[in-house]
Amino acid sequence: MRIRHVLGRNGVRGPAFVALTLLLSACGGGDSAGRALAGLPEFCQEVLPRVEAYLSQFEQPSGERYGGTAVVGTIGEMPDGMNALVSSDYSSSQHQSFVNLMTLIDFDEDFEPRPYLAESWEFDEEAETLTFRLRDDVRWHDGTPTSAYDVEFTFSRAIDPETAFPNAAFWTHYEKGPDAVEVLDSLTVRLKVAPHAELLDPWRATAIMPEHLLGDVPPAQLRQHPYGSRCPIGNGPFVFEAHQADASWSFVRNPAFPEALGGPPYLNRYVYRIIPEQTTLLTELLTENLDFYVAPGPDQTPQIESAERLELRTFQFRSYDLVGWNARRAQLADPRVRQALTLGTNREEIVQAIRRGFGEVANAGVPPYHWAFFEGVRDSLRYDPQRAAALLDEAGWIDRDSDGVRENADGEPLAISIKYNLGNQQREDIAQIMQAQLQPLGIAITPQVVEWGTLLNQINTPDIRDFDGVVIGWVTEFKLDDHDLFHSEEVDQPYGWSGTMDPELDRLLDTLQTVVDREEALPLWREYQYRLLDVQPYTYLYHIERLAGLNRRLQDVELDARGEWVNIREWWIPAELR
Amino acid sequence: MIAFVLRRVLASIPLVLGIATIVFFLLSLAPGDAASLFVSPNITPEVLEQMRRNMGLDQPVHVRYFRWMSAMLRGDFGISFSRNQPVADIIVQILPNTLILSFCAFLLAFTAGILVGVLQAVRQNRLTDSSLSVVGLFFYSMPSFWLALMLILIFSLGARNLWGWPIWFPASGMTSVEYPFMSPVEQLRDRVAHLVLPSVSLALVLAAGIARYMRGSMLEVIRQDYIRTARSKGLSELSVIFKHALRNGLIPVITLFGLYLPFLFSGTVLIETVFAWPGMGRLVVDAIFQRDYPVVMAGTFIFAIMVVVGNLVADVLYALVDPRIRYD
Repeated sequence: MRIRHVLGRNGVRGPAFVALTLLLSACGGGDSAGRALAGLPEFCQEVLPRVEAYLSQFEQPSGERYGGTAVVGTIGEMPDGMNALVSSDYSSSQHQSFVNLMTLIDFDEDFEPRPYLAESWEFDEEAETLTFRLRDDVRWHDGTPTSAYDVEFTFSRAIDPETAFPNAAFWTHYEKGPDAVEVLDSLTVRLKVAPHAELLDPWRATAIMPEHLLGDVPPAQLRQHPYGSRCPIGNGPFVFEAHQADASWSFVRNPAFPEALGGPPYLNRYVYRIIPEQTTLLTELLTENLDFYVAPGPDQTPQIESAERLELRTFQFRSYDLVGWNARRAQLADPRVRQALTLGTNREEIVQAIRRGFGEVANAGVPPYHWAFFEGVRDSLRYDPQRAAALLDEAGWIDRDSDGVRENADGEPLAISIKYNLGNQQREDIAQIMQAQLQPLGIAITPQVVEWGTLLNQINTPDIRDFDGVVIGWVTEFKLDDHDLFHSEEVDQPYGWSGTMDPELDRLLDTLQTVVDREEALPLWREYQYRLLDVQPYTYLYHIERLAGLNRRLQDVELDARGEWVNIREWWIPAELR
Repeated sequence: MIAFVLRRVLASIPLVLGIATIVFFLLSLAPGDAASLFVSPNITPEVLEQMRRNMGLDQPVHVRYFRWMSAMLRGDFGISFSRNQPVADIIVQILPNTLILSFCAFLLAFTAGILVGVLQAVRQNRLTDSSLSVVGLFFYSMPSFWLALMLILIFSLGARNLWGWPIWFPASGMTSVEYPFMSPVEQLRDRVAHLVLPSVSLALVLAAGIARYMRGSMLEVIRQDYIRTARSKGLSELSVIFKHALRNGLIPVITLFGLYLPFLFSGTVLIETVFAWPGMGRLVVDAIFQRDYPVVMAGTFIFAIMVVVGNLVADVLYALVDPRIRYD
């Protein structure tokens, strides 16, 4: 007893007191308030007070739905922040388009363009010009009106090679050079553009950036400008509040958001939390510290479904998983072998095992809800080991020495390695399931794990291409274009993984992008998807059905292929649950 | 003593620079670079080339090395490729988080480890000793991320949702979402609550090891003549143990202090991931996967300094507890 007493006095309390004092001093640092300026770069110290001053003139809206904080949890940081001119990552793009910034147009529920920052637009086919007329009631969060000069700035930086904008290819069919863009008046801007499919899409995907803040920044330095992650000044429904690296982003309502666009958002505040471990994310959702868990794993669905206050939602997304084949390899050169690999893989079972059924077997990169989707390929290449075996026999791969593995006439075995990236359990499982399913057919599959950066180097570098097959996925835009994947011209470019050269595919890929009219394009899209079945550069696995774990208190969350944040302005929380 | 510390600091400069050099060249051997991680057909090879030029990756490795070294010696760590910010800005945001967590974990681990070790030595071979040994081994052999997940399941999920305990701890983050709107007292409580689970899961594993060392060295010390002398002088048992024996018994544990200090700055990746703690371990590991050389180099540099400082602190502590050790 006495020992404990002494320890209590000298051993524990002393250091504990020191610890508390240290913690206190640590708390006194930069992050105690939502927007402490100390420690921020000079640019931020200058612009953030202007935002404060401008927005404080506005009265916060009142009404039944207004109020509360919504917390969204995801696994990753937004490395590109709110800088649309460097951005390529999904969460960043979503926040630029729907939260902090605005795009000229956006998509409605049927994925058709509708006015947003642009009030109207006109495409003059004869003169090959596209003219946007901007709304006159949108202002940057520091009070400066959003104008045609901002559009001109965004476009000219996006196509400037010095910027190295990752999505510069969006504007392939837009004219570049000094006369490419013309400001007619402060709200009207005209661009020169060759007629092509989905020509408005770049303006949905890339948000407009503020010229008055970034106009002087040299293009090559835009990427590292503090605007992106330290103090973005947008014009969208939410105003940037704070960003704590690797921990969270927070935004508050923009009380000045135009009434004509629906007015200020219902939520007072919106927080994006970064939690890199799925089990922790699920715990935070279950303990109601999160309102929205973005993309939980399929294995976590039973726990979400069984929790009374939570809701599991699913929606068709624009991403798919696949096994890419390297047809430069002797075993994979014959399209019949690649078809046999697809036929011999029970993809339905893979969807069940890997995604718990949250997905749909794919035969092309066109998602099932897309207007270009061809019903006729939905059930093609279903699991059929007999047909697979027949195709292999036909291609000359026969088990000549009865060792269980087929050989060609030269006695080379049909051995194929399938690579996947380190730490991706789903892809590892896929490689192993395929190994098991294809083994009875006499195909020896070896799953092989490679670290992600190394894997990309092995598959994307034209002189290396050190792989037979690779389990990987693509996320697409609404404007579909497989030119970089399958066109003969791309065989020695990074994404020409398969190395297949098919004149028929080339013709279709070339024409598809020039057809403006959908009715006219549809038969070509059908032909294209049909042709892919024969060429089989990939074994398409499935279109992903994306998951969302939601707390029921968060109301009116719309979920579709446009992305999780599409209607964040309309999310609301009943007063008694705030 | 001061001369010794100065000598050690000076001697460690070439060591740290040497480590940084080796890491730089090792990194350049890794396949791929930061630009090649932009995987999208929308990125044309020309854009990738421009990105490499903007990042300075188009230069040969020795040019990059001299540029990096000369900038670093002037205190400029460069700009992160993956986070688009100056590395120094990122480190300034992240390093304090790691220091808070490590400090608490360290304090907990050494306090608990030393106390348990002493208690076990005093009660050698009795029930207290053997049961504490079993508990110690249990935690010692447990992977810390597993322990972390279990703590979350019990003290966060279970305590709140299943059993309705009056006390439960947040499972992730450094502060609550409402933190900016709290009073200073609530803010402090919020911070401490968020610290409990991560520092306990780090500390338990360490403490178990420290207790073993402490027990062993105490057992040796309390058998020595001077302890018998102290007892025969009529000193109280407490004074014998904590005034006379503990000081000598601490010497091997101080070695551990030097060893564990750098570990706590780098080896916490899993804990930081599980508890969503924005710390240095996660920063550097993410940077390695993204080939974000400037961040990796800055991180390595800081870790190297920590190793040196850890050992230096241990050496100084030797002198403090053991009058026989002098640095002249």
